[in-house]
Amino acid sequence: MTEQELIESGKLELYVSGALPENEMNEVEEALASSIKIKKEIEVIESSLISLAENVAPALSAQVWQYISDAINTIIPLRDKEEKSFNWGAVTGWAAAVLLLGGLLWLFNQNSTLEDNIYLTTEENTKLEQQLNETQTELAEAESILTIIRDKDYNEVPLPGNPDVAPDAFAKIYYNKEQGVAYVDSKGLPEPPAGKVYQVWSLIMEPLTPSSMGLLNNLTASAEGLYKFEDFPDAEGFGITLEPAGGSETPTLTQLYTLGTVSAP
Amino acid sequence: MEQPNALIERMQQNDEHAFSKLYLLYSEAMYGIIYSIVLDEAVAEEVLQDTFIKIWNNSSSYNIEKGRFFTWILNIARNTAIDKTRSKGFKNSRKNLSTTNFVDILTSTDNLNKKTNAIGIRNFVDKLKPTCIKIIDLLFFKGFTQKDAAEELEMPLGTLKTRNRNCLRDLRTLVLGPQ
Repeated sequence: MTEQELIESGKLELYVSGALPENEMNEVEEALASSIKIKKEIEVIESSLISLAENVAPALSAQVWQYISDAINTIIPLRDKEEKSFNWGAVTGWAAAVLLLGGLLWLFNQNSTLEDNIYLTTEENTKLEQQLNETQTELAEAESILTIIRDKDYNEVPLPGNPDVAPDAFAKIYYNKEQGVAYVDSKGLPEPPAGKVYQVWSLIMEPLTPSSMGLLNNLTASAEGLYKFEDFPDAEGFGITLEPAGGSETPTLTQLYTLGTVSAP
Repeated sequence: MEQPNALIERMQQNDEHAFSKLYLLYSEAMYGIIYSIVLDEAVAEEVLQDTFIKIWNNSSSYNIEKGRFFTWILNIARNTAIDKTRSKGFKNSRKNLSTTNFVDILTSTDNLNKKTNAIGIRNFVDKLKPTCIKIIDLLFFKGFTQKDAAEELEMPLGTLKTRNRNCLRDLRTLVLGPQ
């Protein structure tokens, strides 16, 4: 049978469809292997039939391939593994080592950061504790002042400003006559000029006798703006004068800032 | 279409990637064949899966030097589908569908999602004579041997061969363009 006769016989179409008996199939396959023309003819028939079959197919789900892929991966022949020159054990080992090293570096970094954080937090804690201490001290002072002010044994002696010298100034003295203790609240006095200092005097009225109680300075300060004086003669009144640093033997009356008398009990 | 021998050889060496490319080339045609036999999408997908798993597992039994790859996998697909229709569960659930052929399927479904020229194929099928439909259905889709088909159609063997060829002539023109 010539090439053309074979083409026209219709055997090639039957061959592609797989409908030929064994002997005729062999005949076509021999021609297929030796003749380009027969091969081309078979390719055309094949393409036609593939096109026809594809148009009969409903839409094909992508999951079908997924299933096939999963199925063939679980039953890959053993020799496949032997053929592979890739040493997966070594690769996995190295990958694990690199990951571990990376992990360690990361942890180290994390640890440093945490340590830094702890240091900062500790420092902050210290500051806060200091602040707390200060606040507690202030609170204690305030409470002690309050205790004094509220104490029935303390008399409040207002010391209004001397209209001639310091009309806006004022001071208050809390005086415990029995114990001979006085607290001077200096909030109402202006800051003393440089080189000057306030001096507190106890006064006896008849005759007018001033006695120095002391200076408003660090030695007498008991709290913010509050000064404590003890061991001074009984007072019927108090005066505060501005004196040169170190104080004076007698009050400088031209610098008498405030003056007040103890009211009769 | 020229046969992708390089891909086939790689598949025979257990290259799954090559196998996936062959799947892309041939799966839809195989699905069409299988669907025309089982007439149920879910069952057809199942048979298609089995078909390609068989192709993978038996790839060494195909010889590039000898026959066509398409014909080889076509036989696997049809046999797997026919085996399915003979299974007990399948027989019980569908009895009256055996008379449906590829033309019924083509004319009853929209082929908008098809990559090959659907309108041309539809026209081709519309012009097919009833005898042609019967011949193509038996020989290509249902996998009858030429002897069984000739008996079924009460037609001499030589007539069947030339008729089949003539029936497919318009289809090749459609696929190739006029020659």
